[in-house]
Amino acid sequence: MTQACHRKCVPPHYKESELSKGECVCLDRCVAKYLEVHERMGKKLTELSLQDEELLKRMQQGTGTA
Amino acid sequence: MAAPPPSAPSDPPPPPLQYSVLLQHLVGDKRQPRTWDPAALGGIPCPPKSEEQKMVERVMESCPFKAALACVGGFVLGGAFGIFTAGIDTNVGFDPKDPYRTPTAREVLKDMGQRGISYAKNFAIVGAMFSCTECVVESYRGKSDWKNSVLSGCITGGAIGFRAGLKAGLIGCGGFAAFSAAVDYYLR
Repeated sequence: MTQACHRKCVPPHYKESELSKGECVCLDRCVAKYLEVHERMGKKLTELSLQDEELLKRMQQGTGTA
Repeated sequence: MAAPPPSAPSDPPPPPLQYSVLLQHLVGDKRQPRTWDPAALGGIPCPPKSEEQKMVERVMESCPFKAALACVGGFVLGGAFGIFTAGIDTNVGFDPKDPYRTPTAREVLKDMGQRGISYAKNFAIVGAMFSCTECVVESYRGKSDWKNSVLSGCITGGAIGFRAGLKAGLIGCGGFAAFSAAVDYYLR
């Protein structure tokens, strides 16, 4: 996350060590987006894995009774 | 996905691992709150900032504070400029009936004061407007480069000139934008 946001928000040539206002704003937005994407992907993966497991269970039950 | 691990013949087979439950604990709703240690996450270890320090920094970087600072600075600068130009102006206390009369000290001082105040107010308003628009533009764009000052110079010049008509507004926009671009080039 640090590398991604640094690459996006901080230009390679700079003359001051302090973060300017624009860069601060950009970093805030970058971190917020990263965390939200992370959470949504986690929820989606959980959903997908739930579906996979149900399918597998059904298959096992099918082969068990057969 | 849920493969039962190999076990000794006497033990009953353990229940298959449910990855969905594991994922809920890792990235889903059942996450436990953890404290983040910046040193562990790859940052350079430094003492954490106190709440007061963070609040003071947040106030100093905010747009209204910057605008107020520019306003006060503009007022002082405008006052000095006005008093200076009043000193070199030869038209003070001119009496049409007696053109060769030297103006009294009171007249000179009064004129200096009036001019100083009027210049100071103008400079203060212009400075506050420019600083405010620049801060807003920079917050919106999320970058800090030369385009911020040019754009905010155009907006300020346009707003000032717009009161005298559209053409004056455009000229003011161009002029002020060029001026702030020159100042920015000199400062960077």
